[in-house]
Amino acid sequence: MAEFSWEVRSPLERALVAGPYGVRGDAGVSLTEIRSFDLIQVMARRGKAADMAEAARARFGVAAPDAPKAVGTPDATLIWSGPDQFFVLSKAGKHSIEAVGSAFAGSASLSDQSHARVLTSVSGTKARAMLAKLTSIDLHQGAFPIGAAAATSMDHTSVTLWRGDDRDGQAVFNLLVFATFAESLWHTMLDAAAEYGVNIGHSDEL
Amino acid sequence: MRIVCPFCGERELGEFTYLGDAKPARPAADAGEDAVFDYVYLRDNVAGAMSEHWYHGGGCRAWLKVTRNTLTHEISAVEPAAGVGAAKVGA
Repeated sequence: MAEFSWEVRSPLERALVAGPYGVRGDAGVSLTEIRSFDLIQVMARRGKAADMAEAARARFGVAAPDAPKAVGTPDATLIWSGPDQFFVLSKAGKHSIEAVGSAFAGSASLSDQSHARVLTSVSGTKARAMLAKLTSIDLHQGAFPIGAAAATSMDHTSVTLWRGDDRDGQAVFNLLVFATFAESLWHTMLDAAAEYGVNIGHSDEL
Repeated sequence: MRIVCPFCGERELGEFTYLGDAKPARPAADAGEDAVFDYVYLRDNVAGAMSEHWYHGGGCRAWLKVTRNTLTHEISAVEPAAGVGAAKVGA
Protein backbone atom coordinates (compact mmCIF):
# COMPACT_ATOMS: atom_id res chain seq x y z
CA MET A 1 0.00 0.00 0.00
CA ALA A 2 1.27 3.45 -0.88
CA GLU A 3 2.50 5.67 1.88
CA PHE A 4 -0.03 8.43 2.46
CA SER A 5 0.37 11.67 4.31
CA TRP A 6 -1.53 14.95 4.50
CA GLU A 7 0.13 18.18 3.64
CA VAL A 8 -1.79 21.15 4.98
CA ARG A 9 -2.16 23.89 2.37
CA SER A 10 -4.15 27.07 2.33
CA PRO A 11 -7.07 27.12 -0.12
CA LEU A 12 -5.69 30.52 -1.16
CA GLU A 13 -2.21 29.21 -1.85
CA ARG A 14 -2.52 29.74 -5.61
CA ALA A 15 -4.61 32.93 -5.52
CA LEU A 16 -2.78 34.86 -2.84
CA VAL A 17 0.30 36.70 -4.06
CA ALA A 18 1.92 38.61 -1.23
CA GLY A 19 2.86 42.21 -1.94
CA PRO A 20 1.18 45.25 -3.46
CA TYR A 21 -1.82 45.06 -5.77
CA GLY A 22 -3.86 47.62 -7.69
CA VAL A 23 -3.20 51.34 -7.52
CA ARG A 24 0.34 52.18 -6.45
CA GLY A 25 1.23 54.34 -3.50
CA ASP A 26 0.00 54.05 0.07
CA ALA A 27 -2.26 51.02 0.25
CA GLY A 28 -5.78 51.87 1.40
CA VAL A 29 -6.65 48.25 2.14
CA SER A 30 -4.68 45.49 3.81
CA LEU A 31 -5.77 41.90 3.17
CA THR A 32 -4.15 39.33 5.41
CA GLU A 33 -4.96 35.66 5.36
CA ILE A 34 -4.54 33.93 8.72
CA ARG A 35 -3.34 30.43 7.96
CA SER A 36 -3.14 28.71 11.28
CA PHE A 37 -6.04 28.51 13.70
CA ASP A 38 -8.50 26.18 15.39
CA LEU A 39 -12.15 26.77 14.60
CA ILE A 40 -14.88 24.75 16.29
CA GLN A 41 -18.58 25.07 15.49
CA VAL A 42 -20.71 24.58 18.61
CA MET A 43 -24.46 24.03 18.16
CA ALA A 44 -26.84 23.49 21.06
CA ARG A 45 -28.79 20.27 21.05
CA ARG A 46 -32.56 20.60 21.11
CA GLY A 47 -33.67 22.21 24.34
CA LYS A 48 -30.09 22.37 25.65
CA ALA A 49 -29.24 25.99 24.84
CA ALA A 50 -29.09 26.96 28.52
CA ASP A 51 -26.80 24.00 29.30
CA MET A 52 -24.56 24.98 26.39
CA ALA A 53 -24.36 28.57 27.65
CA GLU A 54 -23.40 27.31 31.10
CA ALA A 55 -20.75 24.99 29.67
CA ALA A 56 -19.33 27.87 27.62
CA ARG A 57 -19.09 30.04 30.70
CA ALA A 58 -17.35 27.26 32.62
CA ARG A 59 -14.86 26.63 29.83
CA PHE A 60 -14.15 30.17 28.62
CA GLY A 61 -15.16 32.35 31.55
CA VAL A 62 -17.54 34.44 29.46
CA ALA A 63 -21.10 34.06 28.28
CA ALA A 64 -21.40 32.63 24.78
CA PRO A 65 -22.81 35.23 22.38
CA ASP A 66 -26.62 34.92 22.08
CA ALA A 67 -26.82 37.76 19.56
CA PRO A 68 -24.65 38.69 16.55
CA LYS A 69 -21.49 39.50 18.48
CA ALA A 70 -17.92 38.29 18.89
CA VAL A 71 -16.77 37.87 22.48
CA GLY A 72 -13.06 37.89 23.21
CA THR A 73 -11.39 35.87 25.96
CA PRO A 74 -7.65 35.86 26.69
CA ASP A 75 -7.04 32.91 24.37
CA ALA A 76 -10.15 32.51 22.19
CA THR A 77 -12.87 34.40 20.39
CA LEU A 78 -16.48 33.20 20.53
CA ILE A 79 -18.33 34.30 17.41
CA TRP A 80 -22.09 34.08 17.02
CA SER A 81 -23.04 32.11 13.89
CA GLY A 82 -26.80 31.67 14.28
CA PRO A 83 -29.45 31.02 16.91
CA ASP A 84 -28.00 28.83 19.68
CA GLN A 85 -24.71 28.31 17.89
CA PHE A 86 -21.30 29.92 17.79
CA PHE A 87 -17.70 29.41 16.69
CA VAL A 88 -14.70 29.02 18.94
CA LEU A 89 -11.69 30.57 17.22
CA SER A 90 -8.27 30.16 18.79
CA LYS A 91 -4.61 29.70 18.00
CA ALA A 92 -3.90 26.26 16.58
CA GLY A 93 -3.75 23.68 19.36
CA LYS A 94 -5.24 25.99 21.99
CA HIS A 95 -8.88 24.94 21.91
CA SER A 96 -8.89 21.89 19.66
CA ILE A 97 -12.07 19.86 19.21
CA GLU A 98 -10.66 17.19 21.55
CA ALA A 99 -10.10 19.80 24.24
CA VAL A 100 -13.44 21.56 23.82
CA GLY A 101 -15.51 18.44 23.17
CA SER A 102 -15.65 17.18 26.73
CA ALA A 103 -16.75 20.60 28.00
CA PHE A 104 -19.90 20.46 25.88
CA ALA A 105 -20.67 16.76 26.28
CA GLY A 106 -24.44 16.36 26.32
CA SER A 107 -25.30 20.02 25.66
CA ALA A 108 -23.98 20.75 22.18
CA SER A 109 -22.81 19.11 18.99
CA LEU A 110 -19.38 20.14 17.78
CA SER A 111 -17.83 20.19 14.35
CA ASP A 112 -14.19 20.93 13.58
CA GLN A 113 -14.04 23.68 10.93
CA SER A 114 -10.32 24.49 11.29
CA HIS A 115 -9.51 23.43 7.73
CA ALA A 116 -12.97 24.11 6.29
CA ARG A 117 -12.82 27.90 6.39
CA VAL A 118 -10.49 30.60 5.28
CA LEU A 119 -9.90 33.48 7.67
CA THR A 120 -9.05 36.87 6.23
CA SER A 121 -8.42 40.09 8.06
CA VAL A 122 -9.38 43.31 6.25
CA SER A 123 -8.05 46.63 7.49
CA GLY A 124 -6.80 49.99 6.27
CA THR A 125 -8.24 53.45 5.72
CA LYS A 126 -10.38 52.22 2.82
CA ALA A 127 -11.47 48.90 4.34
CA ARG A 128 -15.05 50.13 4.90
CA ALA A 129 -15.30 51.64 1.42
CA MET A 130 -14.15 48.37 -0.10
CA LEU A 131 -16.42 46.19 2.03
CA ALA A 132 -19.37 48.48 1.29
CA LYS A 133 -19.23 47.24 -2.30
CA LEU A 134 -19.63 43.65 -1.17
CA THR A 135 -22.03 43.71 1.77
CA SER A 136 -25.32 45.40 2.56
CA ILE A 137 -24.44 45.52 6.26
CA ASP A 138 -23.89 48.99 7.69
CA LEU A 139 -20.27 48.97 8.86
CA HIS A 140 -20.27 52.52 10.19
CA GLN A 141 -18.56 52.94 13.55
CA GLY A 142 -21.90 53.59 15.25
CA ALA A 143 -23.71 50.67 13.66
CA PHE A 144 -20.95 48.05 13.71
CA PRO A 145 -18.71 48.67 16.74
CA ILE A 146 -15.84 46.50 17.95
CA GLY A 147 -17.26 43.08 18.79
CA ALA A 148 -20.17 43.32 16.34
CA ALA A 149 -20.67 40.24 14.17
CA ALA A 150 -22.89 39.16 11.31
CA ALA A 151 -23.76 35.98 9.48
CA THR A 152 -24.36 37.37 6.02
CA SER A 153 -23.57 37.02 2.33
CA MET A 154 -20.94 38.62 0.15
CA ASP A 155 -21.01 38.07 -3.58
CA HIS A 156 -23.68 35.38 -2.99
CA THR A 157 -21.31 33.56 -0.64
CA SER A 158 -22.11 32.93 3.01
CA VAL A 159 -19.61 34.58 5.30
CA THR A 160 -19.15 35.27 8.99
CA LEU A 161 -18.00 38.82 9.49
CA TRP A 162 -16.97 40.45 12.74
CA ARG A 163 -15.05 43.47 13.89
CA GLY A 164 -11.93 42.77 15.93
CA ASP A 165 -9.91 45.15 18.05
CA ASP A 166 -8.56 48.20 16.24
CA ARG A 167 -4.98 48.01 15.00
CA ASP A 168 -2.95 51.23 14.73
CA GLY A 169 -6.14 53.22 15.16
CA GLN A 170 -7.78 51.46 12.22
CA ALA A 171 -10.83 49.21 12.24
CA VAL A 172 -10.13 45.52 11.57
CA PHE A 173 -12.78 43.33 9.96
CA ASN A 174 -12.42 39.57 10.09
CA LEU A 175 -14.00 37.33 7.53
CA LEU A 176 -14.61 33.58 7.63
CA VAL A 177 -15.64 31.95 4.36
CA PHE A 178 -16.02 28.34 3.25
CA ALA A 179 -12.69 27.05 1.95
CA THR A 180 -14.02 26.10 -1.47
CA PHE A 181 -15.53 29.57 -1.99
CA ALA A 182 -12.49 31.41 -0.67
CA GLU A 183 -10.63 31.78 -3.96
CA SER A 184 -13.70 33.20 -5.69
CA LEU A 185 -14.37 35.70 -2.91
CA TRP A 186 -10.67 36.56 -2.76
CA HIS A 187 -10.69 37.68 -6.40
CA THR A 188 -13.89 39.63 -5.80
CA MET A 189 -12.26 41.39 -2.84
CA LEU A 190 -9.16 42.20 -4.89
CA ASP A 191 -11.34 43.70 -7.62
CA ALA A 192 -13.20 45.79 -5.03
CA ALA A 193 -9.99 46.95 -3.36
CA ALA A 194 -7.77 47.56 -6.41
CA GLU A 195 -8.73 51.22 -6.78
CA TYR A 196 -7.54 51.95 -3.23
CA GLY A 197 -4.26 50.07 -3.48
CA VAL A 198 -3.89 46.79 -1.63
CA ASN A 199 -1.24 45.34 0.61
CA ILE A 200 -1.56 41.54 0.49
CA GLY A 201 -0.04 39.22 3.01
CA HIS A 202 -0.51 36.11 5.06
CA SER A 203 0.31 35.21 8.60
CA ASP A 204 0.41 32.14 10.80
CA GLU A 205 -0.40 34.24 13.83
CA LEU A 206 -3.99 34.73 14.83
CA MET B 1 -37.63 44.68 -0.01
CA ARG B 2 -36.00 44.02 3.35
CA ILE B 3 -36.84 41.53 6.06
CA VAL B 4 -36.03 42.05 9.73
CA CYS B 5 -34.67 38.68 10.82
CA PRO B 6 -35.43 38.16 14.53
CA PHE B 7 -31.88 36.86 14.97
CA CYS B 8 -29.79 39.02 12.61
CA GLY B 9 -31.70 42.27 12.21
CA GLU B 10 -32.66 44.01 8.99
CA ARG B 11 -31.32 42.28 5.87
CA GLU B 12 -31.75 42.56 2.14
CA LEU B 13 -34.10 40.24 0.26
CA GLY B 14 -31.20 38.46 -1.49
CA GLU B 15 -30.26 36.67 1.71
CA PHE B 16 -33.68 35.00 1.94
CA THR B 17 -35.44 32.25 0.03
CA TYR B 18 -39.22 32.04 -0.25
CA LEU B 19 -40.93 28.74 0.49
CA GLY B 20 -44.63 29.62 0.47
CA ASP B 21 -47.77 29.51 2.57
CA ALA B 22 -47.07 28.78 6.23
CA LYS B 23 -50.68 27.81 6.95
CA PRO B 24 -50.96 24.22 5.66
CA ALA B 25 -50.51 21.75 8.51
CA ARG B 26 -49.72 18.10 7.95
CA PRO B 27 -52.93 16.12 8.45
CA ALA B 28 -53.17 13.22 10.88
CA ALA B 29 -52.20 9.82 9.49
CA ASP B 30 -55.85 8.69 9.39
CA ALA B 31 -57.23 11.99 8.02
CA GLY B 32 -58.11 10.55 4.63
CA GLU B 33 -57.17 11.22 1.02
CA ASP B 34 -59.00 14.56 0.66
CA ALA B 35 -57.16 16.10 3.59
CA VAL B 36 -53.78 14.93 2.24
CA PHE B 37 -54.63 16.17 -1.27
CA ASP B 38 -55.56 19.54 0.20
CA TYR B 39 -52.34 19.68 2.23
CA VAL B 40 -50.08 18.74 -0.68
CA TYR B 41 -51.71 20.53 -3.63
CA LEU B 42 -54.30 23.13 -2.73
CA ARG B 43 -53.16 26.66 -1.92
CA ASP B 44 -55.10 29.84 -1.25
CA ASN B 45 -54.32 32.74 -3.55
CA VAL B 46 -54.32 35.36 -0.85
CA ALA B 47 -54.85 39.03 -1.64
CA GLY B 48 -53.81 40.74 1.59
CA ALA B 49 -52.00 39.63 4.72
CA MET B 50 -50.46 36.19 4.29
CA SER B 51 -48.36 34.00 6.56
CA GLU B 52 -45.32 32.68 4.70
CA HIS B 53 -42.20 30.64 5.33
CA TRP B 54 -38.89 32.25 4.41
CA TYR B 55 -35.38 30.82 4.84
CA HIS B 56 -32.50 33.02 5.88
CA GLY B 57 -29.95 30.90 4.02
CA GLY B 58 -27.61 33.82 3.31
CA GLY B 59 -27.42 34.61 7.01
CA CYS B 60 -28.21 32.65 10.17
CA ARG B 61 -29.86 29.76 8.26
CA ALA B 62 -33.04 29.95 10.35
CA TRP B 63 -36.54 29.35 9.01
CA LEU B 64 -38.84 32.31 9.58
CA LYS B 65 -42.58 32.89 9.56
CA VAL B 66 -43.25 36.19 7.82
CA THR B 67 -46.61 37.96 7.69
CA ARG B 68 -46.61 39.84 4.39
CA ASN B 69 -49.32 41.77 2.59
CA THR B 70 -49.33 40.36 -0.93
CA LEU B 71 -50.86 43.56 -2.30
CA THR B 72 -48.39 46.05 -0.83
CA HIS B 73 -45.43 43.82 0.20
CA GLU B 74 -45.72 45.39 3.65
CA ILE B 75 -44.30 43.02 6.27
CA SER B 76 -46.12 43.25 9.58
CA ALA B 77 -44.46 40.45 11.56
CA VAL B 78 -41.44 38.16 11.41
CA GLU B 79 -40.94 35.35 13.89
CA PRO B 80 -38.86 32.17 14.07
CA ALA B 81 -40.69 29.24 12.49
CA ALA B 82 -41.61 26.32 14.69
CA GLY B 83 -38.87 23.72 14.79
CA VAL B 84 -35.88 25.87 13.90
CA GLY B 85 -34.33 24.45 17.04
CA ALA B 86 -33.67 27.80 18.62
CA ALA B 87 -34.36 28.52 22.26
CA LYS B 88 -36.39 31.59 21.24
CA VAL B 89 -39.03 29.52 19.47
CA GLY B 90 -42.27 29.30 21.35
CA ALA B 91 -40.93 31.64 23.99
